[in-house]
Amino acid sequence: MAIAVRKLDLHVGELVEIEGRRYEVVPDKTGGLTIEPPITPISELYEKRGMKPASAEDFERIAGDLPADGEG
Amino acid sequence: MVALIVPLRVPPPERRNLPPVSIRFDREEWEEEVERLDERSEARIQALRARREIEGGKAALDLQKCEADDEASGTRLVGCVKSYVPLGKQGASEAPFGFVFQLAQNPDGSLVWNFIAFGERHPDNPATRTVYERAHKRLHGRYPE
Repeated sequence: MAIAVRKLDLHVGELVEIEGRRYEVVPDKTGGLTIEPPITPISELYEKRGMKPASAEDFERIAGDLPADGEG
Repeated sequence: MVALIVPLRVPPPERRNLPPVSIRFDREEWEEEVERLDERSEARIQALRARREIEGGKAALDLQKCEADDEASGTRLVGCVKSYVPLGKQGASEAPFGFVFQLAQNPDGSLVWNFIAFGERHPDNPATRTVYERAHKRLHGRYPE
Protein backbone atom coordinates (compact mmCIF):
# COMPACT_ATOMS: atom_id res chain seq x y z
CA MET A 1 0.00 0.00 0.00
CA ALA A 2 1.38 3.36 -1.00
CA ILE A 3 2.08 5.81 1.77
CA ALA A 4 0.35 9.12 1.37
CA VAL A 5 2.74 12.05 1.16
CA ARG A 6 1.95 15.00 3.39
CA LYS A 7 3.14 18.19 1.83
CA LEU A 8 4.32 20.81 4.29
CA ASP A 9 4.70 24.49 3.46
CA LEU A 10 7.62 25.27 5.73
CA HIS A 11 10.21 28.02 5.69
CA VAL A 12 13.61 28.58 7.28
CA GLY A 13 13.30 29.62 10.90
CA GLU A 14 9.91 28.05 11.55
CA LEU A 15 9.46 25.63 14.44
CA VAL A 16 7.56 22.37 14.16
CA GLU A 17 6.61 19.90 16.84
CA ILE A 18 6.69 16.15 16.20
CA GLU A 19 5.66 13.76 18.95
CA GLY A 20 6.24 16.39 21.58
CA ARG A 21 9.68 17.44 20.36
CA ARG A 22 10.42 20.77 18.73
CA TYR A 23 12.50 21.13 15.60
CA GLU A 24 13.61 24.14 13.59
CA VAL A 25 13.47 24.35 9.80
CA VAL A 26 16.98 25.10 8.52
CA PRO A 27 18.84 25.01 5.17
CA ASP A 28 20.39 21.60 4.44
CA LYS A 29 23.53 22.82 2.59
CA THR A 30 22.29 21.42 -0.74
CA GLY A 31 19.59 23.94 -1.52
CA GLY A 32 16.85 22.18 0.38
CA LEU A 33 15.45 22.27 3.87
CA THR A 34 15.74 19.97 6.83
CA ILE A 35 14.69 20.02 10.46
CA GLU A 36 16.90 19.81 13.52
CA PRO A 37 16.67 20.51 17.24
CA PRO A 38 16.59 24.31 17.66
CA ILE A 39 19.51 26.44 18.75
CA THR A 40 18.24 29.25 20.96
CA PRO A 41 19.84 32.58 20.02
CA ILE A 42 22.27 33.73 22.66
CA SER A 43 20.54 37.13 22.78
CA GLU A 44 17.39 35.45 24.15
CA LEU A 45 19.35 33.52 26.76
CA TYR A 46 21.33 36.58 27.85
CA GLU A 47 18.17 38.66 28.15
CA LYS A 48 16.70 36.14 30.61
CA ARG A 49 19.93 36.12 32.62
CA GLY A 50 20.65 39.81 32.57
CA MET A 51 23.86 39.17 30.65
CA LYS A 52 25.32 40.72 27.53
CA PRO A 53 28.29 40.13 25.23
CA ALA A 54 31.50 41.70 26.51
CA SER A 55 32.80 44.74 24.70
CA ALA A 56 35.42 44.46 21.98
CA GLU A 57 37.80 46.29 24.29
CA ASP A 58 37.31 43.74 27.06
CA PHE A 59 37.81 40.87 24.60
CA GLU A 60 41.02 42.40 23.34
CA ARG A 61 42.31 42.90 26.90
CA ILE A 62 41.42 39.35 27.96
CA ALA A 63 42.03 37.35 24.79
CA GLY A 64 44.08 39.57 22.56
CA ASP A 65 47.21 37.52 23.11
CA LEU A 66 45.62 34.13 22.46
CA PRO A 67 46.65 32.30 19.28
CA ALA A 68 44.32 31.47 16.39
CA ASP A 69 44.42 28.44 14.10
CA GLY A 70 42.46 29.89 11.18
CA GLU A 71 39.98 27.01 10.99
CA GLY A 72 36.90 28.77 12.30
CA MET B 1 18.03 27.43 35.91
CA VAL B 2 21.29 25.91 37.03
CA ALA B 3 24.44 27.67 36.01
CA LEU B 4 27.77 26.14 36.74
CA ILE B 5 30.67 28.50 36.94
CA VAL B 6 34.11 27.05 37.15
CA PRO B 7 37.53 28.63 37.34
CA LEU B 8 39.36 29.04 34.10
CA ARG B 9 42.95 27.87 34.18
CA VAL B 10 44.02 29.85 31.20
CA PRO B 11 47.09 31.87 32.02
CA PRO B 12 45.63 35.38 32.28
CA PRO B 13 47.70 38.30 31.10
CA GLU B 14 48.81 38.93 34.64
CA ARG B 15 51.28 41.52 33.57
CA ARG B 16 48.27 43.71 32.89
CA ASN B 17 46.69 42.92 36.27
CA LEU B 18 43.55 41.50 34.71
CA PRO B 19 41.16 39.48 36.87
CA PRO B 20 40.76 35.74 36.16
CA VAL B 21 37.79 34.83 33.98
CA SER B 22 35.54 31.89 34.82
CA ILE B 23 33.90 29.45 32.43
CA ARG B 24 30.13 29.13 32.57
CA PHE B 25 28.14 26.12 31.36
CA ASP B 26 24.44 26.94 31.42
CA ARG B 27 21.69 24.37 31.22
CA GLU B 28 20.06 25.56 27.99
CA GLU B 29 23.22 25.59 25.91
CA TRP B 30 24.38 22.26 27.33
CA GLU B 31 21.06 20.58 26.52
CA GLU B 32 20.97 21.93 23.00
CA GLU B 33 24.60 21.28 22.19
CA VAL B 34 25.49 18.08 24.02
CA GLU B 35 22.33 16.35 25.23
CA ARG B 36 20.96 16.36 21.66
CA LEU B 37 23.53 13.64 20.98
CA ASP B 38 23.07 9.95 21.69
CA GLU B 39 24.17 9.09 25.22
CA ARG B 40 26.59 6.47 23.89
CA SER B 41 28.05 8.62 21.13
CA GLU B 42 31.74 9.42 21.22
CA ALA B 43 30.97 13.12 20.89
CA ARG B 44 28.73 13.23 23.95
CA ILE B 45 31.10 11.11 26.03
CA GLN B 46 34.04 13.34 25.14
CA ALA B 47 32.08 16.55 25.84
CA LEU B 48 31.05 15.33 29.26
CA ARG B 49 34.58 14.21 30.06
CA ALA B 50 36.03 17.56 29.01
CA ARG B 51 33.49 19.47 31.07
CA ARG B 52 34.27 17.36 34.12
CA GLU B 53 37.96 18.01 33.66
CA ILE B 54 37.30 21.74 33.45
CA GLU B 55 35.02 21.66 36.50
CA GLY B 56 37.56 19.66 38.42
CA GLY B 57 40.25 22.18 37.70
CA LYS B 58 42.42 19.41 36.28
CA ALA B 59 42.58 20.74 32.77
CA ALA B 60 44.85 23.40 31.43
CA LEU B 61 42.75 24.84 28.64
CA ASP B 62 44.49 25.72 25.42
CA LEU B 63 42.09 28.42 24.33
CA GLN B 64 42.41 29.91 20.88
CA LYS B 65 40.65 32.87 19.33
CA CYS B 66 37.88 32.10 16.84
CA GLU B 67 37.78 33.81 13.47
CA ALA B 68 35.92 37.09 13.62
CA ASP B 69 35.14 36.83 9.91
CA ASP B 70 36.06 33.55 8.22
CA GLU B 71 35.73 33.97 4.48
CA ALA B 72 35.83 30.27 3.65
CA SER B 73 32.97 29.20 5.89
CA GLY B 74 31.19 32.51 6.35
CA THR B 75 31.24 32.17 10.12
CA ARG B 76 31.57 35.35 12.19
CA LEU B 77 32.56 34.50 15.75
CA VAL B 78 33.48 37.89 17.14
CA GLY B 79 34.37 37.80 20.82
CA CYS B 80 34.70 34.01 20.93
CA VAL B 81 37.37 31.48 21.77
CA LYS B 82 37.52 27.73 21.40
CA SER B 83 39.01 24.69 22.99
CA TYR B 84 39.63 21.40 21.26
CA VAL B 85 38.01 18.29 22.72
CA PRO B 86 39.41 16.01 24.10
CA LEU B 87 41.30 18.64 26.07
CA GLY B 88 45.03 18.73 25.61
CA LYS B 89 44.92 17.21 22.12
CA GLN B 90 45.68 19.20 18.99
CA GLY B 91 45.27 17.46 15.64
CA ALA B 92 41.86 16.98 14.03
CA SER B 93 42.17 13.21 14.36
CA GLU B 94 43.13 13.36 18.03
CA ALA B 95 40.71 16.16 18.91
CA PRO B 96 37.79 15.95 16.47
CA PHE B 97 35.43 18.07 18.60
CA GLY B 98 35.43 21.57 20.02
CA PHE B 99 33.83 23.87 22.58
CA VAL B 100 33.17 27.50 21.67
CA PHE B 101 32.86 30.15 24.39
CA GLN B 102 31.82 33.80 24.13
CA LEU B 103 33.19 36.44 26.47
CA ALA B 104 30.13 37.85 28.23
CA GLN B 105 29.33 40.24 31.03
CA ASN B 106 27.29 39.16 34.04
CA PRO B 107 24.71 41.47 35.65
CA ASP B 108 27.29 42.43 38.28
CA GLY B 109 29.74 43.51 35.58
CA SER B 110 32.09 40.57 35.94
CA LEU B 111 33.28 38.79 32.81
CA VAL B 112 32.74 35.13 32.01
CA TRP B 113 33.50 32.71 29.19
CA ASN B 114 30.01 31.51 28.35
CA PHE B 115 29.73 28.12 26.63
CA ILE B 116 27.74 28.52 23.40
CA ALA B 117 28.47 25.55 21.12
CA PHE B 118 29.85 22.03 20.89
CA GLY B 119 30.35 19.85 17.84
CA GLU B 120 32.69 18.43 15.26
CA ARG B 121 35.51 20.57 13.91
CA HIS B 122 35.75 18.79 10.55
CA PRO B 123 32.75 16.48 10.14
CA ASP B 124 33.09 13.63 7.64
CA ASN B 125 29.43 13.95 6.76
CA PRO B 126 29.06 17.11 4.65
CA ALA B 127 25.53 17.56 5.95
CA THR B 128 26.75 17.86 9.54
CA ARG B 129 27.23 21.39 10.81
CA THR B 130 30.63 22.23 12.26
CA VAL B 131 30.96 23.53 15.79
CA TYR B 132 31.80 26.90 14.26
CA GLU B 133 28.60 26.94 12.20
CA ARG B 134 26.60 26.04 15.31
CA ALA B 135 28.28 28.85 17.23
CA HIS B 136 27.52 31.26 14.38
CA LYS B 137 23.86 30.25 14.46
CA ARG B 138 23.71 30.73 18.23
CA LEU B 139 25.16 34.22 17.86
CA HIS B 140 23.35 35.38 14.73
CA GLY B 141 20.15 33.31 14.66
CA ARG B 142 20.87 31.61 11.34
CA TYR B 143 23.55 29.53 9.70
CA PRO B 144 26.17 31.32 7.61
CA GLU B 145 25.34 31.79 3.93
